[in-house]
Amino acid sequence: MKLNTNENKNENKKSGYVGGIILHTAAGYGFLSAGIVIAVVGAVVLALLPPLILGDIVDMLTTGKNLPLHMVILYFAMLALTGIMESARERLLTVFGQKITHAVRSRLMEKLIKLPADELNHQEPGNLVSRFVGDVDTVENLFTSGIISMFADACKIISILVVIWVKNMGLAMVLLLLLPVLFLFTRYVQKNMLASQLENRKAVGRASGHVPETLHNIRTIHCLMKERYMEEKYDGYIGQSYRAMEKTNFYDAIYSPVILILNAVVVAVVMLLSASGNTSVLTFFGMSAGTAVAVINYISEIFSPVESLGMEIQTIQSALAGIKRINEFLALPEKKETERAYSAGTDRKNNLPVVELKDVTFGYDEHVVLDNVSFAVNKGEQATLSGRTGAGKSTIFKLLLGLYEPQGGSVLINGIPSVSIRNGERRHLFGYVEQSFHMVPGTVKDQITLFDESISDDEVRAAAALTGLDETIMKLENGYDTMCTPELFSQGQWQLLSIARAAAAEPELLLLDEITANLDAETEKTVLQALKRVSKDRTVLSISHRTMAETGRIIPIQSNK
Amino acid sequence: MKKKENFNAGNFKADRIGSYFKAEWGVLAAVTISGLIYNLGLLAGPWFEGLMTGCLVDILGGRKGFYDMLTLVLAYVIATGIVQASRYIKRFYVRRFANNVNRRMKQVLYGSLVRKSRQEINEEGVGNVMTKAILDVDDCAEGMRKFTTEVFDTGVALLAYMGMLLWYDWRLAIISLLFPPVSYVAAEKMKVVVQRTGVAYKKQSGVLSDATLDRASNAITYRVFGCEEERREDYENKLSAYEKAAVKANIWNTMMTPLYRVISMVGVIFIIYFGGKNVLGDGWKLWDIAAFTTFLSCFTKLSVKSSKAAKLFNAVHKAQVSWKRIKPLMKSESTEADREADNGTRINRVGELEVDNLGFGYPNVPDNEKIFEGISFKAEKGQIIGVTGPVACGKSTLGKTFLCEYPYDGSIRVDGRELAQLDAKDRAGLVGYLGHDTELFADTIRNNILLGDNSDVDVLLREVCFDGEVADMENGADTMVGTGGVRLSGGQAQRLALARTICHKKPIMVLDDPFSALDKNTEKQVYDNLRSRSGETIVFLISHRLYMFPNMDKVIWLEKGRAEIGTHAELMSRVPEYARLYNDQKGGSADEA
Repeated sequence: MKLNTNENKNENKKSGYVGGIILHTAAGYGFLSAGIVIAVVGAVVLALLPPLILGDIVDMLTTGKNLPLHMVILYFAMLALTGIMESARERLLTVFGQKITHAVRSRLMEKLIKLPADELNHQEPGNLVSRFVGDVDTVENLFTSGIISMFADACKIISILVVIWVKNMGLAMVLLLLLPVLFLFTRYVQKNMLASQLENRKAVGRASGHVPETLHNIRTIHCLMKERYMEEKYDGYIGQSYRAMEKTNFYDAIYSPVILILNAVVVAVVMLLSASGNTSVLTFFGMSAGTAVAVINYISEIFSPVESLGMEIQTIQSALAGIKRINEFLALPEKKETERAYSAGTDRKNNLPVVELKDVTFGYDEHVVLDNVSFAVNKGEQATLSGRTGAGKSTIFKLLLGLYEPQGGSVLINGIPSVSIRNGERRHLFGYVEQSFHMVPGTVKDQITLFDESISDDEVRAAAALTGLDETIMKLENGYDTMCTPELFSQGQWQLLSIARAAAAEPELLLLDEITANLDAETEKTVLQALKRVSKDRTVLSISHRTMAETGRIIPIQSNK
Repeated sequence: MKKKENFNAGNFKADRIGSYFKAEWGVLAAVTISGLIYNLGLLAGPWFEGLMTGCLVDILGGRKGFYDMLTLVLAYVIATGIVQASRYIKRFYVRRFANNVNRRMKQVLYGSLVRKSRQEINEEGVGNVMTKAILDVDDCAEGMRKFTTEVFDTGVALLAYMGMLLWYDWRLAIISLLFPPVSYVAAEKMKVVVQRTGVAYKKQSGVLSDATLDRASNAITYRVFGCEEERREDYENKLSAYEKAAVKANIWNTMMTPLYRVISMVGVIFIIYFGGKNVLGDGWKLWDIAAFTTFLSCFTKLSVKSSKAAKLFNAVHKAQVSWKRIKPLMKSESTEADREADNGTRINRVGELEVDNLGFGYPNVPDNEKIFEGISFKAEKGQIIGVTGPVACGKSTLGKTFLCEYPYDGSIRVDGRELAQLDAKDRAGLVGYLGHDTELFADTIRNNILLGDNSDVDVLLREVCFDGEVADMENGADTMVGTGGVRLSGGQAQRLALARTICHKKPIMVLDDPFSALDKNTEKQVYDNLRSRSGETIVFLISHRLYMFPNMDKVIWLEKGRAEIGTHAELMSRVPEYARLYNDQKGGSADEA
């Protein structure tokens, strides 16, 4: 996508929002946008012509004139052209809608990268997905079945009214009075339908969530003999959706009959008035048989755009809600761009401690967690941060990883502020083992490499072997290429895999965050020893609540309360 | 569940599509009558419009008067009213029919799903198959609805229109009717492309959702490992693939419909030309202007309808495919099984448990490797037995062995009866299990504990030391816990699951690490409550935290597939690894908050 280039960054902030993205895309695909305008206008204008020609034909027939063949051909040609224009419009709109959604999603992903770690933690994954997928789809609908078709429908209504005005002024006035009422009725029905649809969707969501839940909890269900209870619950959810649907069905079934009866009434009134014989009425309603045919044609044509107009308003409303949510996401504060990204390889200063905290003060919101903390860990040293829960041990790790910036003092890795370390170098600098393993979708190998192709298969095996997992993995059906499922490994083995992930890129520094939570002391010691054995200059910094896991030097962290 | 009894009582066969139609005969009768009135009545519209135009010509020519028109107009409005009222009835009941079918099919499917064993669900992929089948039900019921609707709307209406056309001028009718089938054949040919691109689109959209979810849930991991830029590029590629697939799929869907209409409208050229001749008196038939307009508008309506015929066949085809997939799964076995279960008397007591030379290995492991072997011990009611050992030593597997999900070696006898030989219901009445996974439901705290039974929730909450926190929640015990209990902390979820297990007490209870997220004091309190309540039960407590082990009646130490069994004191002196682990934790406990 062209949108990702640097020029985008220099534009003012507003252009980063959905509106800006749309304009930018529309401008970027000039021919496409022009094509859409031509197709939309063309379809509207062309659709007006066939009834006019038909009217002429009928009039010629009533006066007993012979039909010239070209009139017949012209009638059909206009019908065909309208169809072709509509087809082109749909085609171009589809392409355009997709361009827009692509651009919006790219932009959202860029934004995700720029979010500060705090914000990332606050975002619920399910919510983010509905922003990226659901909300963006509503933006697409805005184009494919919202604004543009609304414009087309409005044009259609107006142009039909104009033609009728010319042909039969009285009818035009009747319609002008009738259309707003009709429109309000349409909106009323649609609003009620939407409300019960939402209700239905909620119930459907509950019912469909019930199935995976059943699968997941099947052991408990069988164990407690709750099959019948679960069935009844499921039926209850379906019942809820059923009742909501019944309401939708009512409105759905009532709408079209009402419209068509109205249609018939209007035709009847016009016919009656033009047959009245009263001269003052006839100045408004008088018409020839040909005009009558054309007018009947138009009347049925003016009702369908009113109906679609209502739907389009609904689409636009939900799209606006979607856009609002997207814009809120795009407006979230971004993490500070550091002026210059350091390379820990080339900018490093020798003989400095690998990790150094100097008078670090840090807190979340008002609450100060770290107050003037200083310590240093030298190359090859093994150290453990020790302190009570809430003393800020994990926070120190987050500072070291560059997820947060200290409010006072400095956090240095090889003498470089941790937030300034270049992204691509992070992996070779530190390996981080979290408290629990985060599985990524993919094979066992992907778990270790995190899709980094620069890590060779040998390195992957070496890392796994370090943790003693190699043998287990080789026994799997496809070895390292086995697709991962949560059931593949035991809890302890997942933790070992997490260590393999951290060690795969041969980092200088290993950060182990309470990995004892899921490992027994025995396994933990084996792992730490294995890590230590392989690399003499590897520095290891770990967090533990438990004394038994502490190895090497202990750095006490005082909680600030 | 009155409805349900109903359809099981009759000779309803869940795997016969006809049964569903038969069960809904009342609704379908309403649909049939109103459908016939509506569709035959549709002819009234064009017919009246023709007459009115003709009448207008006559009035303008002075041959007819105002009152002729008035009668005509009134008849027109009344006829339209009746026709549209029938339409309303038809639409409403067709949808009700679809709803009923949908609900029935889902009941049947879910009933058999919830009775499938865990192995069938997880390993043989039955879970996935059934989940898809439940989705298929929507397609299937929708297809049945469309089929029922279109039998009238397309079938009857097309025939009626054709009859009318043929009656007015059969030669002209035949010529003009040549074209709608052409458009239909074209649509049929395109269907393959539409389906292929549609499948590709669905697949890409799944890929994109998965990628988004992964990116969102593992955001911190990717950031920490510096993979964000690379992941972004990967996402960008997925976006491009999605865009391509989406454009391809939607273009065929949206672009072709207007073109099909154009093809089927070719007939109007002939109608106007030859119809014009008819009016002028030098054609095949003698027409007035009314006949001309009626014929033309009939044809227009017919061609619009026939462009929808393609949709009808698509829906029916889709329904057939869905039905074929779900048919083998449709067996309404549920109620009989339950009834039987309710009648039989079940064992619900245990005196003595005897485990002899117990061994276990998963069936599909190469070389028939065992996770543990040769475990023998006895236990009697009122005892709490601790199970521990290094990571992946098989302690969780030992606990699960009591569920008999897979065959085991040796024997587990409950008062002399072999556990594996009891039927599933008996076993479920005997063995309670709480695993690592708390398996909570997206419901209130109360419902999660009771699961439809009656008991005092407050007492149960107190017993697991969860009463205080629950009281502080906004709705107390009626607070929703979220999917899988996401709104609770790990320790809260564990205690809730424990309360549920205690509520549905079984003579043998296997608790796999129920205290891992609790602090030491709470752990002790919950343990003491458990102890005072377990007079009639045998409890297995699997854990890697050993604080409570001195209080247990027996300890099983598992290592490298072998078990050492004895009291805490015996193991302390006999197994050095056990002693070291225990002492390590004891020392560490001072440090814990």
